[in-house]
Amino acid sequence: MLWKIALFIILSFVSIAGIAFPIVENPQAWYEFPNIPGLEENAKIIFFHVPTAWLTIIAFLTSMIYSFRYLKRKNLDDDAKAYSSAQIGMIFCILATVTGAVWAKFAWGAFWSWDPRQTSIFALLLIYGALFALRSSIESEEKRATLSAVYSLIAFVTVPFFIFIMPRIMKGLHPGSADDTNAGPVVNFNMNSSMLLIFFLSLIGFTILYFWMWNISYRSIIYRDKLNKHLIRG
Amino acid sequence: MESFLSNNAIYIVMIIVLIVWAGIFLYLLSLDKRIKNVEKELKDGVQNEK
Repeated sequence: MLWKIALFIILSFVSIAGIAFPIVENPQAWYEFPNIPGLEENAKIIFFHVPTAWLTIIAFLTSMIYSFRYLKRKNLDDDAKAYSSAQIGMIFCILATVTGAVWAKFAWGAFWSWDPRQTSIFALLLIYGALFALRSSIESEEKRATLSAVYSLIAFVTVPFFIFIMPRIMKGLHPGSADDTNAGPVVNFNMNSSMLLIFFLSLIGFTILYFWMWNISYRSIIYRDKLNKHLIRG
Repeated sequence: MESFLSNNAIYIVMIIVLIVWAGIFLYLLSLDKRIKNVEKELKDGVQNEK
């Protein structure tokens, strides 16, 4: 119960700070954010957009781990965990794409410009979209679980390339690209300590939120399957 | 208060986001509770049959 209260407080604080704290030229007080050239007020998206991309990775990673466990132990509960995690990952992947596109309209001038970051997340959406197409095309439970576990293992291999590597070695518009004048990897780009603190609080808060959503999701799938089997047998 | 809020619209956005977050949070809490109840019912039902 304690972590639920912590989650509520963390994300409430992040919402207040992320939206209302002012961006100024020379931050003096602890609640002031520095002005990042080229981003200005748009920089505040980092508290809400980056965590959605972060959760995409966490969720697909969890899905990969439980797919591996399914192949090892052949327990259908692991398949339910892998599947629900992939679902949440897909939701947050779409959210990252949409929030990024809305932001890009005002930062870059167009919703979509096939920036390396946009292209790579589009490829990721297609790859994981195929996982759901695969799942829905197989009737047998065990076969579906095995095939989608293998697919999920292979699909996750592409995630580090699409999220971390490709958008950083190519020139592009997204902060953190190879020719980004704000220097350095995305996380360090000219943030002061209070901005960094709220950014990491946001990541922590969203991660807890993910685990909660995942927990509710896989429990409902596991108990639905148990109930189904019970009804068929009974 | 009202004139302050209408001049600083960002605080209204903040209040709305907080309300949305509280709604999502309460919804998740109730979902969690509902599943707990189903789990309990299912366990009790299986034990009764045995």
